[in-house]
Amino acid sequence: MRVLVTGMGGELGTRVAQLLEERSEVREIVGVDFVPPRRRLRRSEFRRVDPRDREKLTDIVTEFAPNAVAHFGVYEPASRVSPRLAAEYTQACTVAALGAAARTGQLERVALRSGLVVYGRGRGRPGVPDETAPVAPTTPYGRTCLEVEALAVDLGRRHGFPVAALRMAHEAGSHVPSPLGRFLRLPVVPVPALADPAFQLLHQEDAARAMVAALLLGVDGPLNVVGPGAASVWQAVRLGGRIPWPVVGPGWRIATRVAELAGAPVPPHILELMTKGRTADGSKALEVLDLGTMRPTQEVCTELFEWAKVTPLRPTLPIAQVGT
Amino acid sequence: MSVSNSGGVTNVSVLPVYGVDPDRTQTTDLLTVIRRRIEGRYPVDPFGSDPQLQDLIAPFVTATVHVQVDHPERLPDDGPAVLVSNRGLGFVEPAALAVALRQEAGRRLRVIGAPDVPILGDLMRKLGAVMSYQNDLAALLRAEHVAAIPLGPTWLRTGAGTPPIQLLVAALGYPVIPVAVRPGGPLGLPLRPWRIAVGEPLAVKAKRGSGDPLAAAELAEAARDNVQRLIDQL
Repeated sequence: MRVLVTGMGGELGTRVAQLLEERSEVREIVGVDFVPPRRRLRRSEFRRVDPRDREKLTDIVTEFAPNAVAHFGVYEPASRVSPRLAAEYTQACTVAALGAAARTGQLERVALRSGLVVYGRGRGRPGVPDETAPVAPTTPYGRTCLEVEALAVDLGRRHGFPVAALRMAHEAGSHVPSPLGRFLRLPVVPVPALADPAFQLLHQEDAARAMVAALLLGVDGPLNVVGPGAASVWQAVRLGGRIPWPVVGPGWRIATRVAELAGAPVPPHILELMTKGRTADGSKALEVLDLGTMRPTQEVCTELFEWAKVTPLRPTLPIAQVGT
Repeated sequence: MSVSNSGGVTNVSVLPVYGVDPDRTQTTDLLTVIRRRIEGRYPVDPFGSDPQLQDLIAPFVTATVHVQVDHPERLPDDGPAVLVSNRGLGFVEPAALAVALRQEAGRRLRVIGAPDVPILGDLMRKLGAVMSYQNDLAALLRAEHVAAIPLGPTWLRTGAGTPPIQLLVAALGYPVIPVAVRPGGPLGLPLRPWRIAVGEPLAVKAKRGSGDPLAAAELAEAARDNVQRLIDQL
């Protein structure tokens, strides 16, 4: 199997490539992204390309003619790039990479990164949707994810290959760049004063395992992938030993501005998660993908705060002897 | 705990519950609850429920609402189930039913019908209520909770109300138990203990997740008839 990994420069894309390298049925892996992979890859080939350079991206994909695509080129706003650029990259990467791969006639399956954001939050929407719930995103990132899903499903129908859309809870980990992580790590964290909504997280390793399983099994259709259990917003702040700053209504405008000045921009989907929560029923993915033990949401939340802990290595030689 | 079986392999994720059982009721005290909130170490489920907070306020509700249960052995000791009951306005009947389940089976009742509004909706979800959506009920039953579906409200507690057919689609394949709830005093006043009559589980032929609207309509009809019969017997 020849696998194309889009978004290979991200934490998740890199880890997916590493997991694919361990599988004997995967013969060749080619990755594309605008930044290099974050870990050492042994037999994957990485091509650095700006997703907006459609001609170059199309050439790479056409030349490789993949059988399978792990589409991580769905960029979260304010994660690695600005919200405007994230939407541009996502659209360009999806159209060019998936379109070119489908046109080669070799494509047999696609697994893509989507999010629980596609369900939206608010009146008329279930609190814990499963895959049969109507999709009605209420944020720009949600609409982007839904567009990616729609495009891939349409291509799959026309060219006859299955598309697994993994609607993941917010991916988190001690080393994953994420706007939610930056926000929760602020010393004082704005929280809704009159509510304490529940949300779910997904550990980076579980997200990567789910993607690999969906790709190798050739799953067709959407799957919610979430960390078991849930955490509430106030609870998450206290788990990190941070101070909650209760905010009401228009106060969020000031709070998000202050957070942005402190280095933690708050895109609309993160503001929605903080004020309305975001959970889903992930039982189908557990059954279909056979993921074994997954990291519970509260554990992932605790790990979010471990990134800053630096363990100094004790030198084995006196400093004067180093380099002599 | 989230469990599923696939191809003989069991997927198990052990949740941090900090000694709080998400299904069985327990006792707790104010100091423990406050300490846990400061540390952030307490269980929360995807519906927003906070079982430790429920254990804290349960003694006050139990002291206020007294219940007398006919056929308590018909209440489920474990596993998912749906209790279909009558109600007047608001949540008094479901609250009495929650006390009955806590008293007789030691389990938490998840009442369907939390309002989809800020503040009040959030508070009720913390106390275990769940919004009235088919998806939410399906997820609740898959997580093996006991759900209470109140029939449509009847202003003067005149009988069983209209059954929510859309919701009952999600209940197909699970044990559905009709329950009648009635205040003990004259003119429907709760002066004496509430009377609660638990019926036999209804026979449903449809499978779980079949989404059969006709089977749901038949189930709704059977539930309403059985609740009305139980009310008449009280």
